[in-house]
Amino acid sequence: MSARPVLRAASGGVTRHRAQTFVIFMVLLVSTASATLGLALLAAADGPFDHAFAAQRGADAAVAVSSAHLTTAQLAATSRVSGVTAAAGPFSATTATLSSQGVTLPSSAVVGRSSPGGRLDELTLVTGHWAQKPDQIVLSEGMGFFPGLGTKMTVPTAPGTPVLTVVGIANSITNTADAWVLPGEISALRPAGAPVRAEMLYRFASAGTAAQIRGDVAAVAAALPAGAVGGFTSWLNARQQATGNSTILAPFVEAFALIGLFMSVLIVANVVSGAVVASYRRIGVLKSIGFSPAQVVVAYVARVGAPALAGCLVGLAAGNLLAIPVLHKSAASFGVGQQQVPLWVNVLAPVVMCALVALTAFVPALRAGRLSAVQAIALGHAPRQGRGYAAHRIASRFRLPRPVSIGLAAPFARPARTAGTLAAIMFGVTAVIFAVGLDSTLSRAEEGQRLATTAPVQVGLASDNAWQPGSRPGRAITAALRSQPGTLRYVAVAQTELGAGGGLALKVNAQAFDGNAGWLGYGLISGHWYRGTGQAVVNTAYLDQTGLAVGDTTTVSTGTRSVTARIVGEVFVPGNQPALMTSVQTLGGTSANLALDQYDVGLKPGVSIDSYVGQLNSALGANYWVSGPGQGQFYLIADSLIAMLTLMMAVVAGLGVLNTVLLATRERVHDLGVFKAVGMTPRQTIAMVLCWMVAPAVVAAVIAIPVGMALHTAIANAMARAAYTGLPASFLAVYRPAGIVLLALSGLVIAAAGAFLPASWAARSKTATALRAE
Amino acid sequence: MDALIQLSDVSKQYDKDGAFAVEDVSLQVAPGESVAVMGPSGSGKSTLLNLIAGLDRPTAGTVTVAGQRIDSLSETSLAKYRRQRVGMIFQFFNLLDDLTVADNVLLPAQLAGLSRAAARRRAGELLDRLKISQHRQAYPARLSGGERQRVAIARALVNSPELLLADEPTGALDSVTGEEIGELLLELNQAGQSMIMVTHNADLAVRYASRTIQIVDGRLVGDEVSSGAGTGWQS
Repeated sequence: MSARPVLRAASGGVTRHRAQTFVIFMVLLVSTASATLGLALLAAADGPFDHAFAAQRGADAAVAVSSAHLTTAQLAATSRVSGVTAAAGPFSATTATLSSQGVTLPSSAVVGRSSPGGRLDELTLVTGHWAQKPDQIVLSEGMGFFPGLGTKMTVPTAPGTPVLTVVGIANSITNTADAWVLPGEISALRPAGAPVRAEMLYRFASAGTAAQIRGDVAAVAAALPAGAVGGFTSWLNARQQATGNSTILAPFVEAFALIGLFMSVLIVANVVSGAVVASYRRIGVLKSIGFSPAQVVVAYVARVGAPALAGCLVGLAAGNLLAIPVLHKSAASFGVGQQQVPLWVNVLAPVVMCALVALTAFVPALRAGRLSAVQAIALGHAPRQGRGYAAHRIASRFRLPRPVSIGLAAPFARPARTAGTLAAIMFGVTAVIFAVGLDSTLSRAEEGQRLATTAPVQVGLASDNAWQPGSRPGRAITAALRSQPGTLRYVAVAQTELGAGGGLALKVNAQAFDGNAGWLGYGLISGHWYRGTGQAVVNTAYLDQTGLAVGDTTTVSTGTRSVTARIVGEVFVPGNQPALMTSVQTLGGTSANLALDQYDVGLKPGVSIDSYVGQLNSALGANYWVSGPGQGQFYLIADSLIAMLTLMMAVVAGLGVLNTVLLATRERVHDLGVFKAVGMTPRQTIAMVLCWMVAPAVVAAVIAIPVGMALHTAIANAMARAAYTGLPASFLAVYRPAGIVLLALSGLVIAAAGAFLPASWAARSKTATALRAE
Repeated sequence: MDALIQLSDVSKQYDKDGAFAVEDVSLQVAPGESVAVMGPSGSGKSTLLNLIAGLDRPTAGTVTVAGQRIDSLSETSLAKYRRQRVGMIFQFFNLLDDLTVADNVLLPAQLAGLSRAAARRRAGELLDRLKISQHRQAYPARLSGGERQRVAIARALVNSPELLLADEPTGALDSVTGEEIGELLLELNQAGQSMIMVTHNADLAVRYASRTIQIVDGRLVGDEVSSGAGTGWQS
């Protein structure tokens, strides 16, 4: 078989059918890009923390020790304690209050390190450089406070209120500190009278569970003088935070990946088989001049293969480019340093897409190869006689402008192709409905967690200290809050740990509010907010881990006493950590010795949060911290992913429509000439061609509405389950009838956008030329 | 009397450096006239017809039909011109296969915005007059060539155009059917319908046109009054 004529035939097809070549290129580009992005995200969700933990030699535990009466040798000797496989430190450490640009941060753990590297906990420098002078500080990315390099930060809790310059932002995989300075600077930052502390980092042989780590740390503590170990942070906390986020993201990323894959298969099949079918006449001509069936197959697989391969390669690059910012955000959110598109994704995505193209091209090309020349020419001329005639007859009875009724009936001439396009639009609309719903649900979940609308401002003492109800700090804060005209209401909250469950061994994060807190607006999955003493609301994890239900009575231990409360509601607090919310009075009031450590503040409508925070900071001074709502990195990632993936799905669906309409206009170019010859204006021609896709779009939207809504409910619930929580009904009830109709219109928008280019081409085509077309 | 069609120094080149399909043609056609355009294949007959129909634009010169310069009209205005002032019939009928006979005939009237009732009434009259009303619900593929051409003629006349343009109207028909279509066109002309007909068939031209124009290599080389039955105004 001579290759030259085959290649000539293939390349001739590519250059002569530029529009079709462009569509194949674009569909493969977008499909491969979305496949690459989807697979990269799935891979990113698959254990990024563990990979990063290994790469950065993360510490299993960061242990705080009172180092004043310890020698370095004593601390170094702990590396030989049974079960310890690696140790680093001691790193001098202190607690300090950092203040900048009118913002006073909560008490921060500052550690002295001479460099970001080391045997354990190798820090990733995100921006800037490591501290080189005593007055320089590197902030942890985990703080979520990015004042900009060169910013001056004061330390009001240190003698002489030293000023430090921010020279870098770094990331610790296990959040071993909030900030780092050179080791010699720690003593200057230590508050007067504060104990001398140091941080030791350890890797243990067994560190898979909290109990193992507690045992490991206990072994270390036993090797040191009594009371030397002041506490520790476990890598499991950081891991839970990171994998929790990625696990929550996984269901909707997988849903989008599946939708994208289905759409790609449909559209690639439609595009490629359409391109081959549209070339039947040319195939007939080639066969009549001596092409063998095998040559025809090779020529046409090659013809669609060339732009498809180019599309795959460009799509791969585009997918990598799109993945970078998302993975960067993901990495920043999970605190896992850099994440990259894995090699296997870069191989698998284009290979699968190319294989798909080859398969879908091969079948019709093989059929064309087996046809006789005459049959191929006849088949390539027009749709089969009789198809769609009844649709035209019915459509002509409607009192619609004739171009509209002709357009509405046209898709019935090619039912298989129309069905493929309808399915593509359906997937596109499903993606839009699902995405908009999920975005609304996530917004409500975010609001339910961050309380950004109801209580956007928090205020507290700028140190580890809490205070008792009615104490001087409490009075100072309430006086400042009352003096601010923007204050609507506020409530003090004590955050404490309770024991619950069998033997009161279950550790529960509790929030006890000193006053009415129902206005905070925590989402309720079932039941109601507590209404008096003796009532409490708990999260799903609490119910799951205690086996209790709303309406049951639970007993919790404050450490000094046991308290019984009736569970009156299940509150939306994601995570596998049991949580309980109640009033200070339920936990025993002042006698419980609860420490209030912050006020949640609601603002009057129209009050600027930034200016309110600034004014309150000025009023309270450096001994207090005031903060606005946080950034909600997880929701930012989810939002940007949803937007990007939805856009890609819509573009792919639009390209599917474009391909179908393009093929139809090519096939019906002669009819278009006739329409124009008998007086159809360009505007009427555009209307007619646009209407070709109206019926499929409407049917697609009708199917997509329930599918998209069901998908939304299923995925939102799956994400909630991954976050160990149920969902309040209000989080799922995001669709309203008018909104659904608008969302369904996205099908028409996709159809119109996809059909507009070929419609314009049809309107501009020369009538005399069209009439000469066979 | 004013000319219905006025071509002044009209030229048409498809490629910038290519040969002229029509070159320096000047022509007048009076209302009611029936003109046959003859010439060998590739001589520019159909191009000339397309220029008059507003399906194509001249490279040079002006084309005026019923007092309206059509060579400078926008595409939208040309479409309105075609639907209101011109009816076209083609050698291969150019009917839309997926529309019934009635719907094919109704189409130009519907595009022109004629009321539903008026359009149906007019189409019914034409189908009766052309003796194809029994096929009104049939699809073109089921009709004979002569019947299809009658449908095409009915479609061309549905908006009562001032000018009927026919491109080889009997070219795809057997001689008997061609004769019938010729007679039909003659009847229409005798009823006052202005007509230009491109044909290879000298006999058809002589018998059914009042004037015959000869074109060779895009140039007008002959213009003579036929001795046949054409009844239109002659210069």
